[in-house]
Amino acid sequence: MEHYSDRLTGIFQALADPTRRAVLGRLGKGPASISELARPFDMALPSFMKHIRFLEGSGLIRTRKTGRVRTCSIERKSFAAAEAWLSTQRALWEGRTDRLEQFVTTTHARDKSK
Amino acid sequence: MTRSVNPELDLTLSRIIKAPRRVVWDAWSTPASFEQWWVPAPAKCKVLEMDLRPGGGFTTHISENGGAFKPHMRGCFLAVDELERIVFTDALLGEWRPAERTFMTAVITLQDHPNGTEYSAHVMHKSRADRDMHETMGFHDGWGTVVEQLAGLVERDRAASSVP
Repeated sequence: MEHYSDRLTGIFQALADPTRRAVLGRLGKGPASISELARPFDMALPSFMKHIRFLEGSGLIRTRKTGRVRTCSIERKSFAAAEAWLSTQRALWEGRTDRLEQFVTTTHARDKSK
Repeated sequence: MTRSVNPELDLTLSRIIKAPRRVVWDAWSTPASFEQWWVPAPAKCKVLEMDLRPGGGFTTHISENGGAFKPHMRGCFLAVDELERIVFTDALLGEWRPAERTFMTAVITLQDHPNGTEYSAHVMHKSRADRDMHETMGFHDGWGTVVEQLAGLVERDRAASSVP
């Protein structure tokens, strides 16, 4: 489980930053080069590269260098992992709501028939 | 009131329950009733404290597999509007004391609906909630199973990624 926990921590940290979220939003539409990704941000390239490396390190994106151009693309599997965490929380609350509904409707029916 | 939903950290659910609002409210706010549904059988829930007022403590214990009751949830109510809304968090303990571990804030709302009551929950988790989930794992209902399922999922994931 350890590696899984670390991975999720990285994913949530990566998603906590607005620049990184914007980059992911852009990459959601398809792969893009670093210079294309950096263009909308008023930020020095070394700072921007830190975000890219963070995203790559957390496994949310992958990068590939062809000649002088480095292209980034989204890593779908990591999003599935983040989704799985929230899904377990959802299952927990759905379960509680199911049981509340069951409890309420049976007691209510019983009270009405008294 | 503007309360935004962060899709990465929040979950929202809504359900129409075929019973009057008063009945749903009582099921939530009466400890003996709450214990009947909060955790899945065969686990048992015991409410130690449910002080329904802003700043009131909320403490439950759980017994799994017929074992002794162990701490389950400790939190604080932030808002309690009779028949309408319950807001609680585990970021605080009773009387507003900051909690060691913090995980979520839940907003439960009840509204009249032609078929009964519309019951909604908005649960907001803090970032890195996963870490806390692992720390408090033993205290949360059904999470033993959940973690097994997660482990299974990861194993599958890894197996799939090792295939060229």
